[in-house]
Amino acid sequence: MARIAGVNIPTNKRVLIALTYIHGIGRAKATEITTSLGIPAERRVNQLTDDEVLKIRELIDRDFQVEGDLRRAVAMNIKRLMDLGCYRGLRHRRGLPVHGQRTHTNARTRKGPAKPIAGKKKVTK
Amino acid sequence: MARSVWKGPFLDGYMLGKADKARASGRNEVIKIWSRRSTILPQFVGLTFGVYNGQKFIPVLVTENMIGHKFGEFSPTRTFYGHAVDKKAKRK
Repeated sequence: MARIAGVNIPTNKRVLIALTYIHGIGRAKATEITTSLGIPAERRVNQLTDDEVLKIRELIDRDFQVEGDLRRAVAMNIKRLMDLGCYRGLRHRRGLPVHGQRTHTNARTRKGPAKPIAGKKKVTK
Repeated sequence: MARSVWKGPFLDGYMLGKADKARASGRNEVIKIWSRRSTILPQFVGLTFGVYNGQKFIPVLVTENMIGHKFGEFSPTRTFYGHAVDKKAKRK
């Protein structure tokens, strides 16, 4: 059990993998952290010494934006676009894809589940 | 991919002249522009541009936040009024 960057308690997985449970840290940053601290790849979180945990915590605090701060930063960026009244902001407001994808079909990630169209007959056999 | 820094921001050359003239005249009237692809520069802040959207000129008051965006981003070219509700639709 180790608390790193607030609420995250990665389990008895390898350190490299456990760190990716933190929002804002993926494989690339996890590799960066472990190599710069010289933690061997096969080391698991429950085998970390208190000193190493402390070092990881400090490194993340110093170099990376994670969890709440990162979420807030992303939300602020989106809010800025929306307040600006630019095209990307309008797309965010309407919940449509922002990067110019087609919306004739697909785009279900942004639009959510398909809504039934009134009056359209179902093809039944 | 982002534009190379060494090229500097893109804009059509006559934009600067237009902006200067508008500043010199003092009155804040809408500057009509067709160049939607030009970058908004710091010296445009406070001016109002009429950005052409293919049909009419959409007035855009340039604020500090807009620096780095393109003029076209603030002048939507499409209108979508939503889908009309079909009155003949029957409930089954």
